[in-house]
Amino acid sequence: MSKQLIITVSREFGSGGHVIAEHIAEKFELPLYDHNLLREITDEKNISLDYIKRYDELPKNPWFSRTIRGYSNSPEENIANMQFEYLKKKADQGDSFVVVGRCAESILKNYDGLISFFVLADMEAKVKRIEKIHGISQSQAEALIKRNDKERKAYHNYYCTVKWGDSRNYDISINSSKLGISHTAEMLEQYIKARIEE
Amino acid sequence: MTAQIFAVLIFLGMFILIITEKFERHITTLGCGLLTLIVVFGICMHSVSAVMQTLNIQSIFTVDFWYQAGESTESSIGINWATIFFIVGMMVMVEGMAMAGFFRWLCMRIANLVHYKTVPIFITFMIMSAILAMFIDSITVILFLAAVTVELAQLLKFNPVPMILSEIFCANLGGSATMCGDPPNIIIGTSLGYSFGDFIFNTGLIAGISLIVVIVYFYVIFHKELSSQSDEKKSVADYPDPKKAITNKKGFIISCIIFFGAVILLVTHAYTGLTVAFIGLFIAAVTLLASFKNAVKIIKSIDYQTILFFIGLFVVVGGLEETGVLEVIATFIGKVSGGNIKLMIAIIIWVSAIASAFVDNIPFAATMIPIIKSLSVTQNTSLSVLAWALSMGTDIGGSATPIGASANVVGTSVAAREGYPISWGEYCKKVVPATVLVLIISMIVIFVRYF
Repeated sequence: MSKQLIITVSREFGSGGHVIAEHIAEKFELPLYDHNLLREITDEKNISLDYIKRYDELPKNPWFSRTIRGYSNSPEENIANMQFEYLKKKADQGDSFVVVGRCAESILKNYDGLISFFVLADMEAKVKRIEKIHGISQSQAEALIKRNDKERKAYHNYYCTVKWGDSRNYDISINSSKLGISHTAEMLEQYIKARIEE
Repeated sequence: MTAQIFAVLIFLGMFILIITEKFERHITTLGCGLLTLIVVFGICMHSVSAVMQTLNIQSIFTVDFWYQAGESTESSIGINWATIFFIVGMMVMVEGMAMAGFFRWLCMRIANLVHYKTVPIFITFMIMSAILAMFIDSITVILFLAAVTVELAQLLKFNPVPMILSEIFCANLGGSATMCGDPPNIIIGTSLGYSFGDFIFNTGLIAGISLIVVIVYFYVIFHKELSSQSDEKKSVADYPDPKKAITNKKGFIISCIIFFGAVILLVTHAYTGLTVAFIGLFIAAVTLLASFKNAVKIIKSIDYQTILFFIGLFVVVGGLEETGVLEVIATFIGKVSGGNIKLMIAIIIWVSAIASAFVDNIPFAATMIPIIKSLSVTQNTSLSVLAWALSMGTDIGGSATPIGASANVVGTSVAAREGYPISWGEYCKKVVPATVLVLIISMIVIFVRYF
């Protein structure tokens, strides 16, 4: 195991993947990059976050996009590439960090310090969690989960050759509804420690 | 009939694949071109002559291809090699200029001349965008202008989006003014035998009037957004020095000479008899000889994909032409307009504009050329008037949406990469009125001048 530690957490909507990533970042004292990645970029480029945050982690609309000589008009695609470049730059600098989503497991797959997770959960558990967090009905929660997962899948599969959620793409794919979110996080923490000690 | 059906199916398939970007667009057109040669000409028509006519290689070995002493001739069937040669030549020249730092220097020099004041930069950059796009492909113009605009916006603390949108529109407008400004015009000019002068005195006049109107329009809608958000006073030293943009002084001077030489050759080609194919090859050769050290680098940087895209496209359109499909469409337009020429012009302008706003205007223009030729014969109408209507419709219509023309895609992409994404809504809200305005001006000028 190299000194650099890059942990990527891909997740289904409502699976608690983000909470798990927060837990790991805290335990290993690493910066966590999620939607705040855009803030890092906007601060560095001296541009407004409001301008770009609405395009974060969204799939490109193929019917309203065109690419000429590698230039695409799609705001979603440009913002995604901006984040990928930023992550690569951080990785090239030798930084250690935790990333939630953003195709990080594929974008950073060539770095030795990469440990990648995919967190999924049973639909029932995801619905209950989303109902509670957002204060919405069961059907609304279900619709929200389906819509978000559809977008995440489309986003991921456009930029990566391997499919979103395909277990061959991650070191561990885990169902958080079996052990519960906190126990899953602890288990993954143990795995990371074992990898560091390798 | 079977050949016609297959020609149409291949054409529609090509359009759908271009829109969906399933494959790179040159792969799409080349694949569909090959299908046209095999299925339409080979299996359905059993015609070797149709293949030869569409490949059109024999045209390169005629004197007329390089030098035309008298009136230019029409040659719209098959691969338009004159367009290909010219585009390659311009690509080589532009690459040489870019390497020497010409475009960045020009942008910075103009910003410097107006003392880095936002509104004067806004107006001069619109004019510069239009003038440069008259001679250079709009992608290159916008690539440099948009990048410098973002740089200046960060320095002077203003929102670059209004300026980039105006530059994009003016690049498309400038491109419509000349034969070499926009790919549809190059194809129209070389296919129908029009000169640089023919375009300047017809579409150029419309573009000139329109430019004045759109500068006023963009100023009215954008001047508030352009005010600097910073009260910080800057000294001369804070601004970039235009001279620093020049990477190679000798190369810079040579590229300037070649550029002005190319402009002179283009402006005078109707008098000298030199064709655009000759001019393209000549400026490419001179650029490569003058930049001998960088010749390989320049050749490697040629956008071969665009060249292959054109070749495949011409073959597919050749399939429609050889099978008589385009004549059927022309007859239909003639019937719809009931022989009313003004209505026919209006249909050509607005249909071309609407189609070009959503699909690539190059295949659209290439398809429409044989149609307007046929219309001119069957309806006894002046071909040139139809050509100007088609040119303005495709060139200006392409401005309306972020995907209508190459300049729009590249300009919005440069803005987004620097953190200023432009949504469809934002783009169309500001640019569609300008597009409609110019289309109305085009229609009025054509009606008043030619009828």
